[in-house]
Amino acid sequence: MKRHLLLPLVLSAQLAAPFAYAEGRTLTDDTGRAVVVPERPQRVVVTHDPLLGVPILDIGGRLVGSYGRTDDGGSLAAVDFIDTVLGKDAVSERPKGVGPSGQMDFEKLRALDPDLIIGSEYNSGIVEQLAQIAPTYLQNTGTGRVRGFEVQQSLAGVLGMEDAFAARMSEYQESLAETRAALPARTEGQSYLVVIAHDDLRLVGETSGVIQAMEDLGYARAKVEGLGEGKGLGSNFAVPLSPELFMRLDPDVLVLMNSYTGTERDETSTRAKLDRIAPGWARFLRPETEGRTIYIDSAKVSTPSIASAEHALEAVRSWAAD
Amino acid sequence: MTRRLDGYGLWRVAGLEMRRIDLGVALVLLGVAAALIVGSLTVGTTPVALGDLMPSSGLDDAQHYAVLSLRLPRALTGFLAGAAIAASGAMLQSLTRNPIADPGLLGLAQGSLLAILLALIFLPSLPQGWLPLIGCAGGLGVALFLARLTAQSRSGDALALLLLGLAVETTLSAVTSVVILYAPTDLSFAISVWLAGSLYQAGWGALGAMLPWLALSLPLLFVAGPMLRLLELGEEHAHALGLGLRGARLTVLLATVLLTSAAVTVTGPLVFLGIMAPHIAGFLLPSSGRARLLLSGLVGGIFVVAADCLSRGLGTDIGLPIGLCLTLLGVPVFIVTLRLRMLRRTL
Repeated sequence: MKRHLLLPLVLSAQLAAPFAYAEGRTLTDDTGRAVVVPERPQRVVVTHDPLLGVPILDIGGRLVGSYGRTDDGGSLAAVDFIDTVLGKDAVSERPKGVGPSGQMDFEKLRALDPDLIIGSEYNSGIVEQLAQIAPTYLQNTGTGRVRGFEVQQSLAGVLGMEDAFAARMSEYQESLAETRAALPARTEGQSYLVVIAHDDLRLVGETSGVIQAMEDLGYARAKVEGLGEGKGLGSNFAVPLSPELFMRLDPDVLVLMNSYTGTERDETSTRAKLDRIAPGWARFLRPETEGRTIYIDSAKVSTPSIASAEHALEAVRSWAAD
Repeated sequence: MTRRLDGYGLWRVAGLEMRRIDLGVALVLLGVAAALIVGSLTVGTTPVALGDLMPSSGLDDAQHYAVLSLRLPRALTGFLAGAAIAASGAMLQSLTRNPIADPGLLGLAQGSLLAILLALIFLPSLPQGWLPLIGCAGGLGVALFLARLTAQSRSGDALALLLLGLAVETTLSAVTSVVILYAPTDLSFAISVWLAGSLYQAGWGALGAMLPWLALSLPLLFVAGPMLRLLELGEEHAHALGLGLRGARLTVLLATVLLTSAAVTVTGPLVFLGIMAPHIAGFLLPSSGRARLLLSGLVGGIFVVAADCLSRGLGTDIGLPIGLCLTLLGVPVFIVTLRLRMLRRTL
């Protein structure tokens, strides 16, 4: 292309302001950026399927695109979190993919014609590119004080869906009351911990439905000696836990989960994984020997959504019944 | 301005002394690079034909966005990053007189990477423009450490520099692995992609953040060229010819740090490019000093743009990292080059 043609084009691209957006609300996102968000966004794209997409779909929101899915809406990951958490029939139209894992395709994203893009704090490196396509709101999902389904509540506010969130909360409260009634003893003052087995063991932090459910039931997070708050390089989702420390855990209730990166996540597979990482754990871990462990499908309960918390409550009821 | 220097067959191009043949090969490579960059504007999800780029055609909104907001800055960034890493490799190979030296082997790239990594984890909202500075600080720390350790003797330090660099690189790689292991899951994944080599964040902003560092390194490159020509003779000879070894070593390391940090921030380490590109350039035309830096840089840039085209052209849901595409493209060429060079020697 001739220089005299290219230069003005480049300059025009550089000088052009981001898209002229329709009037809407001005919000400040979690990275401190002012974002003009449409009153009722209709074509939302999220950059993270389980942490941002599932919470929105759970309150009846609609997504046109989601990072981590194929062109036809299939999941690129081993687990389809939409199917697993919300059910196969919960969403009539699957959000379309916006590129392969690790390399978002901005052209594909733009072709979806979004009116709002919701990303996480980890997208701050590409926020300029995203904001050229549509208003981009960055929501904290792993750093700062993000707890339980606060992410979902925050997203409901961004989308103007506070009423839908409140309605889901009512349903959740009913499920919570039902679970409390099913438990044999009062849970106030009792402690809990949640451990997930990837290739190593991780103590699940604060951003997940299972944490919200356990704490809403009255359990308090047990203190782990030798593992201060803030460990894990800023992550509050999963803090590394050594097998030796794992063996010494003794909360009143211990939730054990196998990694959501695999297809096998039931009790048998969780036990097998733990046997590999901490051989002999079943004979030494007190909650296990005393019947205080609950096995839960990690893929169902790891999203920061009411639906995940409800799955956790269901697992607790099942454990209590046994 | 270009003019012939009588008697030496040298041409002076804006002060850059080169043989006529160096200039010719550089121009050919520049032409190839330009053609590839224009060709890369047609590769991607949004259909854009070469004809659409002509002034008479005009691009629609989607094409305009794809070409000018995404593909052009990506191609230019990839080209400059590839050139920077390749030139760094050429400099370090001349400095150490070792054909497998590159910024990765000496730990300079790892120093930059680790510093950037820590910034990404602990300061996730840090503007992208700061990352080259942070990467530069990391690389500079390693360079100063190496320079300090090898500053005691005047000569014979090339091997020591290489071995110390290798030790530093191994240590920093181990620390990087631990940091990735303990980083938040999402960030770990993003970091893994970046470490595999990626250009998907390469917009105008990234290019703008990279340019000042490349500009800063240019005077150093200009100064380093003649030094490298002498260093290629061996440190003792270079010293006998009047070269201050400490100053030369520091100049080359500093230029390498600036170039590597600027590139690595955007593209990731692009493993092997720093070794491969100077060898391929050397096969095309054996050269030294500034000419070698220029030719290596052009070859490096060409390979990265080609790898990016391959990555984007492979399919919609696969998206191989640039680093892997670079290996797929470059290693066969590298092997053929070495084989031909061996044959050339036997003939």
